[in-house]
Amino acid sequence: MMVKVDRLSYNFGAYWALKDISFTLGKGEFLFLTGHSGAGKTTLLRLLYGALPVNRGRASVAGFELNHLKKRQIPHLRRKVGVVFQDFKILPKRTVFDNVAMALEVRGMPRTHLERRVRAIVRAMGLETKSYSTCERLSGGEQQRVAIARSMVANPELILADEPTGNLDFDLTMHLMEIFKQFHTYGTSVIMATHSREVLDCVPDARILHLQDGRIVTDGEPIDPFEDEKEGGE
Amino acid sequence: MIGQLFRLTLRGIADFALHPVAQLLTLVAVAMVTLLTGLILVGLHNINLELLKSRGEVEFQVYWKAGIEVEEVLKDWTVIKKMDHLKDFKTFTPENALTELASTLGETGDFSWLADNNPLPYSGLASFAVPPSDQEEGWAAKLLTQLKMLPGVDKVNYTPFQADLAQGWMTISRVVVWPILGFLALIVSLVVHNTIKLSLLTRMDEVEILSLVGARPSYIRWPLITGGFIQGVLGSGMGIGLLTLVHSLAAQALNFPPFLIEIQFLPLAQLGYLAGAVTLVSMTSSWVAVK
Repeated sequence: MMVKVDRLSYNFGAYWALKDISFTLGKGEFLFLTGHSGAGKTTLLRLLYGALPVNRGRASVAGFELNHLKKRQIPHLRRKVGVVFQDFKILPKRTVFDNVAMALEVRGMPRTHLERRVRAIVRAMGLETKSYSTCERLSGGEQQRVAIARSMVANPELILADEPTGNLDFDLTMHLMEIFKQFHTYGTSVIMATHSREVLDCVPDARILHLQDGRIVTDGEPIDPFEDEKEGGE
Repeated sequence: MIGQLFRLTLRGIADFALHPVAQLLTLVAVAMVTLLTGLILVGLHNINLELLKSRGEVEFQVYWKAGIEVEEVLKDWTVIKKMDHLKDFKTFTPENALTELASTLGETGDFSWLADNNPLPYSGLASFAVPPSDQEEGWAAKLLTQLKMLPGVDKVNYTPFQADLAQGWMTISRVVVWPILGFLALIVSLVVHNTIKLSLLTRMDEVEILSLVGARPSYIRWPLITGGFIQGVLGSGMGIGLLTLVHSLAAQALNFPPFLIEIQFLPLAQLGYLAGAVTLVSMTSSWVAVK
């Protein structure tokens, strides 16, 4: 089991962002987290990569028990998990190569091996001509591809993506989803938070976990998680 | 391991080019703090020198035993003349002393009737000027003991006020100067710490991203500490350079009557402590700024 969450709750002071949620994610599974803003998607992802402490309930990710996770274990957890954000989180003044290589440098990988891996993934992302350009010169789509390359270059067991296409237009969104699907076919588990119906349609066999006010309202059921929006809009 | 440490150190150096304006402003701030601290230290150093200079002077009136052989007295005088830091030594035979007394008292001082039965002993007035560097604790009392120990000496009078003041300054140095220096060190630490911490705000994105990709805290911090070390060394170096410049311009500012004080520069050891303290605080701040 890649992820196991059992009766997990999390509060920011008096506000409960997550309430008593439970689910599991198998190896190689693709899971969408859907729900309105404030539903708890980002909080759940942050708990899963150790940015927030698990105090109530239980959670394990890639073999790490998050309840008992010591500070010094967090880097080890994050080497098994790739994280992608809506705002890319790349270093604009560094080159594409440097941004991607960062994930391998922290592991102490020998330089020749590292260069081979980085070149390969940069090529796979269609960025080989821009390897030595600084990221501030890239378009939004290219920057997001750099972020995805960085999260994938070390072959993580799990990808956590928090609205990775939120800042991109339709064509770029489709292109990036193809990249995610490609990595998924290699056996990487993916949890992706999204607002977008187009994104859901890209992976029709993916499981959908819909959150509302910090609770899971549907899990994997073949229903349209945006049905309520549609009705509200009409 | 060594290779990675070397690479991270090089990265810390190369990162200076990433935010040149922020780094330059930090450098200037560290240099200014060093300059201000240096100026205060120069002030304290010179006050200390002036006070020790005047407090290092003390006079002893030495009286020899009545009826003592003149050879023994001459032997003692020879010993006193060889004592360290003796500035002046006036000696008086009983006859000299009587004449001196008579001249001091003027017309009323006719003691010729005492010439055959002079009650005054051999005596001397020994003035010492002990330089600040040799004023270890109890130096005045040690001189007094040395004089009293001379075989022919009967008693030694001195002005306790002078010696007590000399000792008093040593005590004041301990009670007042060290707390001031401690307070100064605290202020320097806080200012340099906050300056370095603010400069690292420009790099928080990098710290966050490194943490996200699984970097250990030591991996994240080492380039920052390298940067802190460079900021500390360059900043304190610039500050001390400016201090030297200010000193060269102001060294003679008080060298006129009645002061006649030439402002002395800080000793090399104190400059070393200043630069070391600023660099240490700078490195420590770089370490603790990332939590």
